[in-house]
Amino acid sequence: MSRLRLLAILQTDCPTCRLITPYLNKLADSETDVSAISQDGEEATSEFVRQMDVRFPVERDPDFELSKRFGVTTVPTLYLLDDRDQVVKHEPGFDKNVLNQIAALLDHPPVATPYDGAPAFKPGCTSRHLEARTDAVAAPALNLHAPRGAPASTIEIADGEDPYEYCFREFNDALPVVPPTRERVDGMLAAAGRDPREVIGRIPPCYGEATVEKIAANAVMAGCVPEMMRVLIPLVRAASDERFNAHGVQATTHFVAPLLIVNGPVRHELKFHFRQNVFSNVARSNSTLGRALQLILLNLGGARPDGIDMSALGNPGKFSFCIAENEEENPWEPLHVEHGLAREQSAVSLFAAEAPHGVSEHGARTARGVLKTICYALATVWTYRACLNYEALVVLCPEHVHTIHRDGFTKPNVRDFLFENTGIPLRCYDANCNDERSDGVAYRSAYTEIQVDGEPCYRKFRAPESIKIVVAGGTAGKFSAVLGSWSAGPRGSQMVTYPI
Amino acid sequence: MPITLVNPMNEFTPQAVAAAPRLAGIDGRTIALLDISKPGGSIFLDRLERLLKQRYAATNVIREMKPTFAKPAPPDVIERIRHADAVIEGLAD
Repeated sequence: MSRLRLLAILQTDCPTCRLITPYLNKLADSETDVSAISQDGEEATSEFVRQMDVRFPVERDPDFELSKRFGVTTVPTLYLLDDRDQVVKHEPGFDKNVLNQIAALLDHPPVATPYDGAPAFKPGCTSRHLEARTDAVAAPALNLHAPRGAPASTIEIADGEDPYEYCFREFNDALPVVPPTRERVDGMLAAAGRDPREVIGRIPPCYGEATVEKIAANAVMAGCVPEMMRVLIPLVRAASDERFNAHGVQATTHFVAPLLIVNGPVRHELKFHFRQNVFSNVARSNSTLGRALQLILLNLGGARPDGIDMSALGNPGKFSFCIAENEEENPWEPLHVEHGLAREQSAVSLFAAEAPHGVSEHGARTARGVLKTICYALATVWTYRACLNYEALVVLCPEHVHTIHRDGFTKPNVRDFLFENTGIPLRCYDANCNDERSDGVAYRSAYTEIQVDGEPCYRKFRAPESIKIVVAGGTAGKFSAVLGSWSAGPRGSQMVTYPI
Repeated sequence: MPITLVNPMNEFTPQAVAAAPRLAGIDGRTIALLDISKPGGSIFLDRLERLLKQRYAATNVIREMKPTFAKPAPPDVIERIRHADAVIEGLAD
C-alpha cells in the first residue's frame, strides 16, 4: 500500500481552523506526514503557529496559487495525498468522525473523542481567494456576518451634569462606572492597534456588535488599563463562541455566571492575581477584566438582570468573576496546556460556573484522603442525585496540591480518581422516600452503576473530562473549591480557551 | 468644557414586529406543538394533542422538538413548522 500524507489548507483567523489545529498536532505527533498551507501573510501565520503551538510545517500561499490549484472553497480543507501527490480524499470543515477515519487511513490511533469539549461537526469559512472585496463599504444594519460595524455614536453631556450620575442613569448599571470619555476610549484604541470598527463578535442573546470601539468603551467603564485590550479581544471571541453558548448562559433561570481563568505569562505582565483571595477583590486586573466582560454582556448582549437574564437567585460573580491559575504552585500541566496551547502562550478560558463551594480538608494526610473529601462536594453539583449532564471545576489550593503530588498523583490520576470515586448511593433513589419525578431521579435508567467503597452507587459524571482542574489560591489554608457547571456538553455550555 | 462620551451600548434598534392575527378558529387548521425538550413539556403537549384531536377532528396536529432548551431552535426545526397556522410551545419544567 502506498504511503499517504495529510495536507491542510487553513486561515489564521477562521474559528474552525483553530478548532482543528490541536487534532492535526496530535496526528503530527507520530511518524505521520502532516503539513499545512496558510492563506494569510507572514506575520499572521507565524503568530498563529506560535499561539496554537503548531507542530507541523506550515507554508504560505501568497497568490493563492495552491488554493486555486486544489480548488479549495472552504477552510479548513484536509487533503489526503498519495505518493504521487494525487488527492485520494478531501474533507472540508471540521468533523470528528472524519478526523478519526483519516487517522485510521494514516495508521494512527483515533484523535477525537466525543467529550473533549469540541463539537462533533463545525462548518468552515470561505476560502480567502473567494472572499468578496468590499473595502470601505459600511455594513448594512442587519448583516450578522459583516466584518466591520458602525462607529459608536458620541454623547455630549451638559455643563454642570455629573458624568458619573449621567452614566449611572443612562447606562443603567447597578455599580457606578468610569465615564467612557472620548480621550479614555481613544487611549484604549491606541493600545489595541486595530480598526475601531472591526467586529470581534456578536454578543448573545441580542447579538449586539462588539466592535473594538464598543469593547474599549466598556473596558473604560470597568476601570481597565489600556493594555487590557489584548486580553479583551480574545475574551470577546471566547464569549461569542457557540460552544460556550452565551445565549443560554445569559438567559437561564439557573445560577451560572461566566468565570474567566487566565493562564500564562500575561498573569505577570498585567499583574493578574492568583494567590490568596483569588476569587475576591484583590487585584485591579482580575476585578476590572471580569467586570468588563459583564458590562459587555449587559450593554452589547442585552441580558439585563431585570430583563432577559432570568436567573432566579443570580450569582455574585455577575459583578466580576475572574481568577488566574497559580502555575508556580502547580506541579502538573496548567489548564491552557491541557487545552493544546504551549506553556509560554497566554490564554483566557471561560467556564459557566456556579459560585465556589468551599471544601475544607485539614485532617487528611494523604492524596486519597484529600481527594475523597472533594468527591463528596462533587457529588452535590447541580443537585445531589443528578448525574451525567453536568461538569465541575475543581480549584485546588496549593497545600492540597502538595499532599496530592507528594503521593505520586499526576493530573490525569487526580481526574480519574475523582471520576471513579464520585457516586450517589442507590439507596438515595429509594422509591419510598422520593418523588419519582425529582431532579436526577427521573433519568436514572441512563446512569451507570458503580461501586464506591463497596457501596452500589450511580456514577456522577459522564467522563473524566467532565472534571476540570486548576490550581489557585494562597499557600496557607487547606481550602479547595468545587464550582458546579450549568447544563454541560454540546446541548449546554462548554469550556472554551482562547490564546491571548 | 462639555464632556464627550463614547456610547457603550448596543445601538441597533430592534424592529417591532406585529403579532400574527388571532385565528378565527382552529378547525381544519394545522397546529404545531413545539416541545423545547424541558422535562415535563411532553406531558403538557401530549394532553393538548389529545384534546385537540378529540374536539377538532379536522385539525392537523404536528409535533416538533428542539434538541436542547438551552439554545435557539435550529433552522431545520423552524423549517418543519413554518407552514403551520399556529404554534403552541411548551416552555418550562
